[in-house]
Amino acid sequence: MRPRHWQVTVTRDRTDTARPEIAPLADAADDRTLVAACLEGRRDAFDAIVERHQRQVYQLCYRFAGNHEDASDLAQDVFIRAYRGLHSFKGQAAFSTWLYRIGVNVCLNRMGSRAQKWTTLEIADQPDLRLERADARILRGERAAAVRAAIARLPKKQRAALILRVYHDLPHDEIARIVGTSVGAVKANFFHALANLKKLLNSKS
Amino acid sequence: MKHLSRAEFVDLIESAQTLPPERVRHLERCEGCRAEAEALGAMRAAALEDPAPEPSPLFWDHFSARVSERVRSESAPVAATRWFPPSFATWAAAGTVVVLLVTTAVWRTTLHAPAHRSPLPLAPTVASQIVEPVDDLETDEAWAVVREAAADLNWEDADEAGIAAHPGDVEDVALQLTAAERIELARLLDADLKRNGA
Repeated sequence: MRPRHWQVTVTRDRTDTARPEIAPLADAADDRTLVAACLEGRRDAFDAIVERHQRQVYQLCYRFAGNHEDASDLAQDVFIRAYRGLHSFKGQAAFSTWLYRIGVNVCLNRMGSRAQKWTTLEIADQPDLRLERADARILRGERAAAVRAAIARLPKKQRAALILRVYHDLPHDEIARIVGTSVGAVKANFFHALANLKKLLNSKS
Repeated sequence: MKHLSRAEFVDLIESAQTLPPERVRHLERCEGCRAEAEALGAMRAAALEDPAPEPSPLFWDHFSARVSERVRSESAPVAATRWFPPSFATWAAAGTVVVLLVTTAVWRTTLHAPAHRSPLPLAPTVASQIVEPVDDLETDEAWAVVREAAADLNWEDADEAGIAAHPGDVEDVALQLTAAERIELARLLDADLKRNGA
């Protein structure tokens, strides 16, 4: 069997002349092509990977860390680790799955035993606050904070299953690949996460 | 009457259609399962109420620049050879090494003279005259053959090919010997142990 070689074609006929060799990669190349380009020494290909995945990685880290500063540091750490371990990406799973796996490991290792410091950021898809009564807004904020605090107290695997399922909407089989377990175990962890969430929120109220 | 399993509860709160009809019938009759499903669904809905965090739009440029800077301070990642299947030459070299290792291991059990055991402590002058078995790998001809055969084989290829030594490998090799080979190996080991006075 002949070794696979990824062909990366760089076109220079674009009007964007600021970063002519980077834009085509970011726009058109799939993740595997970008990884191959990185391994051939093109660091700009990794920039494209970062731009493509930074939002999902940041949001994952935010769910674990609970505040912007830690989430930002964790997300950076995830990408640096991904860069260092790029040669171990075999292309059997999607690159995003591989990146999620690094993200979950980094977050659980770094945030597992740390108390979270929750702060509120602006929220995407937020309902128009002008239409919402102040007391309702406060109540909603308090409820969200209570849920976050309860999620932070869940055991690691349950927390990971809940975050990936609820906030990243990943299917159970992909979560299983990310956390390295079976679909049945993922569903069991998700079930226990919700059951424990109920206990924690009830005990608080 | 069997209640819903954890996986069935999860399937139910995510999509009621995934439950088989007999489980749906159970759910209609079982108040406990219905209450549990309702509570779990409420928790999922409560978690979903907390939308995705969104930092300032300026953050993303700053973030990617920061990562890019860090990446450029790192050494470039190198394409690993394990992306590619080992070549025939690698397998051939690996096979040769295995054969030579096994052969050498068996041969070396008969190589050394029995260690001399004296009932009395030896005087320094006598002890210095005793010729110890040669364990110098640099001068050992058998190991020279192995070294030469394995010269082009790097560790990663050997490990990937499954010929690197791991715990239990000796037992595995012993189990792969024929009955006659095992008897011979046992005889050699026994003779060696007796020679060494064990």
